[in-house]
Amino acid sequence: MWCKIALLFVFSAFYLLANPLPEESREFPQLLAVMSFALAAIALVLDFTRGEAPQGEILDVDDTELKVQDAGRRRLRRKRYCQSWVIVLVSTGVGYLVGFLFTSLCLLLGFALVLGRKEKRVFNAIVAVATTGVVYLAFVVVMKVPLVGGLAW
Amino acid sequence: MDVVQHALLFVLQWQNLAALAGGTLCGILVGVLPGLGPSAGMALALPLVIKWHPATALIFLGALYKCSNYGGSITAILVNTPGDASNAATLLDGYPMCQQGRGGVALGLSATSAMVGGTIGMICLIVAAPPLAEFALKFGPAEYFLTALLALSIIAAVVQGATIKGLISAGLGLLLSTVGFDVITGQLRYTFDWAPLEDGIPLIQALVGLFAVTQAFVLAQSNESISRIARLSGGFWEGVLTYFRHPAAIVRASTIGLLVGVLPAVGQSSAGLLAWAEAKRSSRHPEKFGHGSTEGVLASETATNACMPGDLVCTIALGIPGSLGAAIFLGVMIIFGVAPGPLVFTEKADIIYALFVALVLTSFLLFVIGMLFARRLAVITLLPNEVIVPMILVVSLLGSFAIRNEMADVLISLAFGALGYVMLKGGFTPIPLLLGLVLGEMVETNYHRALMISGGSYTIFYDSIISKVLIALTVLSLAGPYLGPFWKTLTQGEK
Repeated sequence: MWCKIALLFVFSAFYLLANPLPEESREFPQLLAVMSFALAAIALVLDFTRGEAPQGEILDVDDTELKVQDAGRRRLRRKRYCQSWVIVLVSTGVGYLVGFLFTSLCLLLGFALVLGRKEKRVFNAIVAVATTGVVYLAFVVVMKVPLVGGLAW
Repeated sequence: MDVVQHALLFVLQWQNLAALAGGTLCGILVGVLPGLGPSAGMALALPLVIKWHPATALIFLGALYKCSNYGGSITAILVNTPGDASNAATLLDGYPMCQQGRGGVALGLSATSAMVGGTIGMICLIVAAPPLAEFALKFGPAEYFLTALLALSIIAAVVQGATIKGLISAGLGLLLSTVGFDVITGQLRYTFDWAPLEDGIPLIQALVGLFAVTQAFVLAQSNESISRIARLSGGFWEGVLTYFRHPAAIVRASTIGLLVGVLPAVGQSSAGLLAWAEAKRSSRHPEKFGHGSTEGVLASETATNACMPGDLVCTIALGIPGSLGAAIFLGVMIIFGVAPGPLVFTEKADIIYALFVALVLTSFLLFVIGMLFARRLAVITLLPNEVIVPMILVVSLLGSFAIRNEMADVLISLAFGALGYVMLKGGFTPIPLLLGLVLGEMVETNYHRALMISGGSYTIFYDSIISKVLIALTVLSLAGPYLGPFWKTLTQGEK
């Protein structure tokens, strides 16, 4: 539901941001925005009007432990997701400063050290450095893609 | 027939066989790297082949262009990341097969599809290139606009499972395609004065974000592996045998691929998805589609591989490229003095037919390579996510970066990765969005062109018979999911 509400705002923004444009330029995107807004609104209305199916309750089963495990698993997944984004954003920032080659290194090392298994950290770190070397040889030396360069050089 | 014989003897010379093999291997490698694609691969290989004999150079680049699709299907199957937009349809059933431990079977299906679909497409091309080109000429701007709408509506209705959500996704894709310079007036739209967006949202970077980055973040949440069972069942040859058990599906998918390929700018991405949708509609077990159906992989891969020869028809016979890869190939042809047009089949018959014969042989070489490496590649699905996730991110973001050597492209991919993840959580699939992005410029350009030709009158959109048929098919595709259960209720009520 929240996704559809966000989409309503997105489609409205596309419509409003096209207003300053000349008529030939804004006609097509505004038409699309109106149609997509209408579809999103219909989908939202259908979500609200759809009745919930009655669910039988089994009152004599204690599912507290299941709920705790489930909640725990969800928290762990959310934590790993947030950690992944932090690694990716920091690596991208490093890339802006010193080049994409170092983004690769930071990504590989970051995932190896933060999200990898503790007993395999050293091995994963060695693999990360070796992979960065392969990337350097293949893309910088052979294909001449400039992976080293950025604001700091 | 003489021309074909001469062409075969020419291709069997050692330097041309070497070019064919080299182009095949390079194409697969380029296709496996998400974001690189056939166009970048050909651009990178051009300095290498510029001094070669024109026919040898075209054989190398043609093989590279053709085989990059197979490389892309490998990553689509194994890690849910298409190498190019043309592999998007293979995700729908290829990746679920992998999760079930049947990655080898999926790779076998893909290799066999590449061989059979590519061979059927090339034979049809050799026999029927001029009449196919004439058919393509009957399509004007209004027909192209309606064809794109038909493709979007079919995909939205069938892939998503809920038509409204699919249409919303497609609408968002079409809106995102309007970012950048307006093709008609040259006005900048929705760029917020950020230079990397002036040419529009780059398709490859968006593709990498929507699929590769999203998939990486999904996998990063657990430390298991792609395959949800800790072993591989079935193998390459099971995929091969399964393929030949569906002859009707093969013919249907090849026909769809060839016809879609003949229409310039509609492209391989549409061919695969349309064939998948048709296979689902005509299957005895439509409920299996999207959950690891072998028919799904068969249909999408066969159509995509049959599409490329159709794409070549318009590129060679009319000088109208059907895709970015075809546009680069067209440029290469001109560099080597092979000017496109109807006369090319007579004036440069030796080069053109050598290319066609080489592409037929490429299909078989692809199959052999797939046979040798499929099992080894499928082992990737057993590796833990902590190894796979950074590899996916590095390779795919590298592909994004390498196109324009700009970190801004990496940011664009990450933004689309976030969008893809949010869509996943919201129950939307990104495939209609991707198709909207791919077809958006074609839709808008042909919409405006048609109105310019008709002087602003909308009758041009339903004047011709082709337009009427396209409109009827679009309405049917949108209403079909709702009419089906209604019809069942009626007929069961009669019983």
